[in-house]
Amino acid sequence: MNWFQRLSKTQRMEKELDAELRFHFETQVADKIREGLSEADARRATRLEFGGLAQIKEDCRESRGTLWLVSIVQDLRFGARILARSPGFSFTAIVVLALGIGVSTLAFSLYNIAALQSIPVRDPATVVRIQRRSPENITPGVPYASIAFYRDNAKSLSAVMATMSAAPLVLNQDEKRIGATFVSSNYFSGLGGSAAAGRLFDETRDDSASAPVCVLSFRLWQRKFGGDPSIVGKSIHLGGRPATVIGVASETFASLGTDDPDLWLPLLQHSYFVEGSKPLADSNFDGLIEMWGRLAPGVSMTNAEQELLSLTDQLRKLYPAVIWDHEYIVVTPGAHFFQFEGGPGSPPVLPLVGLLVFLILAIACANLGGLLLARGAGRQREIQLRFDLGARKLRVFRQLLTENLLLGLLGSVAALPLSYGVLRLVLVYSSAPSWMSALPDWRVFLFTTAMGFVAALLFGFLPTLQMVRRKKNRSLWHQFVVCAQVGASCVLLILAGLLVRATLHTLYSDPGFAYEQVLSIDPGMSEHGFTPAQAKAYLDQLQNRLRALPGVTTVSIAKIPPLVNTEVMITSIDVDGRRVMIYPNWVSPEFFQTMRIPLLRGRYFQAGEKNAVILSQSLARKRWPADDPIGKQWKNGKDIVIGVVGDTRAMELNNTDATEIYYPPTADDFPGMSVLVRAAGDPNTLTPAIKAIAGSIDTGLFPTITPLTAGFRKNVSQAEQVAAIISLLGGIAIFLAVVGLFGLVSFAVSQRTKEIAIRLALGANHARILSVVLRRFAWPVLVGLIAGVASTACLSQILRRVLYGISGLDPISYVGAMAVLLAILTAAASLPIRRAFQLDVARTLHFE
Amino acid sequence: MTTPSKFDLPQGTLDLLILRVVALEPIHGYAIAQRIQMISKEALQIQQGSLYPALHRLENKNFLVAEWGPTETGREAKFYRLTAKGRTQLKTETESWERLTEVVAMILQHPLGERS
Repeated sequence: MNWFQRLSKTQRMEKELDAELRFHFETQVADKIREGLSEADARRATRLEFGGLAQIKEDCRESRGTLWLVSIVQDLRFGARILARSPGFSFTAIVVLALGIGVSTLAFSLYNIAALQSIPVRDPATVVRIQRRSPENITPGVPYASIAFYRDNAKSLSAVMATMSAAPLVLNQDEKRIGATFVSSNYFSGLGGSAAAGRLFDETRDDSASAPVCVLSFRLWQRKFGGDPSIVGKSIHLGGRPATVIGVASETFASLGTDDPDLWLPLLQHSYFVEGSKPLADSNFDGLIEMWGRLAPGVSMTNAEQELLSLTDQLRKLYPAVIWDHEYIVVTPGAHFFQFEGGPGSPPVLPLVGLLVFLILAIACANLGGLLLARGAGRQREIQLRFDLGARKLRVFRQLLTENLLLGLLGSVAALPLSYGVLRLVLVYSSAPSWMSALPDWRVFLFTTAMGFVAALLFGFLPTLQMVRRKKNRSLWHQFVVCAQVGASCVLLILAGLLVRATLHTLYSDPGFAYEQVLSIDPGMSEHGFTPAQAKAYLDQLQNRLRALPGVTTVSIAKIPPLVNTEVMITSIDVDGRRVMIYPNWVSPEFFQTMRIPLLRGRYFQAGEKNAVILSQSLARKRWPADDPIGKQWKNGKDIVIGVVGDTRAMELNNTDATEIYYPPTADDFPGMSVLVRAAGDPNTLTPAIKAIAGSIDTGLFPTITPLTAGFRKNVSQAEQVAAIISLLGGIAIFLAVVGLFGLVSFAVSQRTKEIAIRLALGANHARILSVVLRRFAWPVLVGLIAGVASTACLSQILRRVLYGISGLDPISYVGAMAVLLAILTAAASLPIRRAFQLDVARTLHFE
Repeated sequence: MTTPSKFDLPQGTLDLLILRVVALEPIHGYAIAQRIQMISKEALQIQQGSLYPALHRLENKNFLVAEWGPTETGREAKFYRLTAKGRTQLKTETESWERLTEVVAMILQHPLGERS
């Protein structure tokens, strides 16, 4: 009989065991009656001799050896019943656990996708990434000359591939640029990629020698060409240069590394697509070309490293300037999305994230432990009863642990969909490669289950031990937990408040300029190698044509169009030892009318004027608090202040301290300038006309046209997202704190039920009792609040720049957050006490 | 009434006694206890709390098999019977017990064993 058969026969055996013992009992009674005892006496005597019948049965079961399994099933069933009996507790516990385990599962899933899962290529185990290192240098790139040399000479590699990401390219006339990667012609064949349409690059055909070609990604094919197979063989324009589409990679094709381009171009045609570049011929061109390889059969990565190192020594003789001193080659697994390399000096990201995640789990478990402790106090009677019936300590302990384990596993089960959902959002929002799936694989399942066990041990072991030992506990630890929780919730809640208020402030306050009807036109001249003279000619022509366009009120040029640029410049001056940060901009005279920035003193620039600057009001006041700034010399003495204009938050909406300085553009600035157009009506209706004008002036340029409102919305939505995330975190922190405090107060109340009953019996009023019980928690809560407020006040100074003009000490946010927190905590704490007030005084005292 | 056994049985001895008693004929639990008590002239009283776990242990080790049958009074009882494996076990256990008692007696009776 194996254990399974035994288990299935358990029911019968139980019956038989019962019958066997009953037979013994009855026979013994019968014998005693025969000896002359009355039946009642005989029964009583026999019962005494027998002792605990349940105990004998349990011992018999144990000696059958099936017990561990039967009893675990039994314990699980019992545990499930117990959990089902108090759904409120179970639900809270599972949610707490799901949060704690979910965070760690999410972190692990991300790590799993990035570093553990192989990308879907043929034979991923032999794909390697090859990088050069020296004691002084770390770079992901390898010069093309070295790659070619290794490719021709390395016997440990059956194939060598090279990739190089390109700057975003304009596809045909689209505004949205696309990502492209240059790859060696064996890239697709080396990875075992297949085509969804047409064909892929093919080393045997030597595409590089033919006319320019490209391979589309499945995603771009669908998005841009509607999955039309007739695109193959057609010509598209990339950065203004025609290239023939030879095929589409299959949907499942995965790129090497973190690149996920929209299309691939042959590396050997690089200088066609990027004019003037010579990455292949110039042996000093470095840093962008990445090298990949496939290990020859039976070769290990160490073997390959050794061979490549000896080849490097030969290379040094060929290109002494390119090869570093003590250069060596590092070969790592290549078929992973990302590699966590612990180079010297790099922050230990993995351990830090691991620690953080574990800390979150620990906090969740600490709270749950408190709740469990409180429940344990309530179950004391049940456990006492079991001991009285002859249960052994170990057995009860095991039963309680099984219950915790069940809870832990339920937490894991709840954590999986939670982490899945968040991971999906993350993948979608980060536009991850299509092969990445949020669905948990076996590693994630294993990890989550393991975390369920760990959590069960963390939250369950001590309270359970305490329950079994039947000891009372009143430790400093609880107070510390409350304190830390309240502090953390306080920080998050205040930050959430600040950020929400800041977002509202940005939305409903005047940025100092009018952006609603302005378009920014970035011709991208510097990328196309315009000289200053060419750029000036182009800008003049474009401006003149635009001014003539109906519906356009003003046109101007600026080096840094407000709100649109992701990068801004900052300079600074020292005024009496204090540093003042300044946003400079180079603008034409009409800029101020276009942006509706008021002139407060002096005058605007005149056309062609040099050595003049215009300051914003706050800058003028900071530099010359008492004097009239007009006519003063700025900084180096060459530039004269000719005007003062209103303050704006043009460069960073969130920075109310911003001060600006405006210069007239110099010749060198022209290739980098953008054109700003103010429309009389809806600016978007002008876009086609602007495109047409730009195209008629220069067919090679593809200006990026962006309404400033889009930039404004982007700025605000970033702030909104941060606020939403912080609010969510704040909510979670409060939830955890509530669970923790509720548990601890419940525990405290249950420990003092008798005292409360006596006080009630003696006629004490409720408020007095409330204060007596809660006094123990008042201090930790108070300390937590103070610590939370203090740390937020410090933190908010760092956060100033994202606070959009709200003071880091904004009283409404602080007081509001504290009030909310206190209200929630009071509710959490008074619930168990309220319950205690309803207890039946007489019964309680009698029972005790 | 509830006279505890006069002395504690050494570990494992109960199993040997049970095997010995069951070896005579198929017998139920109550009768095993009675018989041991009778043969030992009331010196050994087997508690139910140790008898039945021992029986189940032996059955689990396949030294005993059990089947249900009627007793002389007509009640259904679980009768234990020795298996071939149990018989071998009884033999080896008996031999080792005899050797043990012999050795223990030898040492206890040795005159040099006592210090004067």
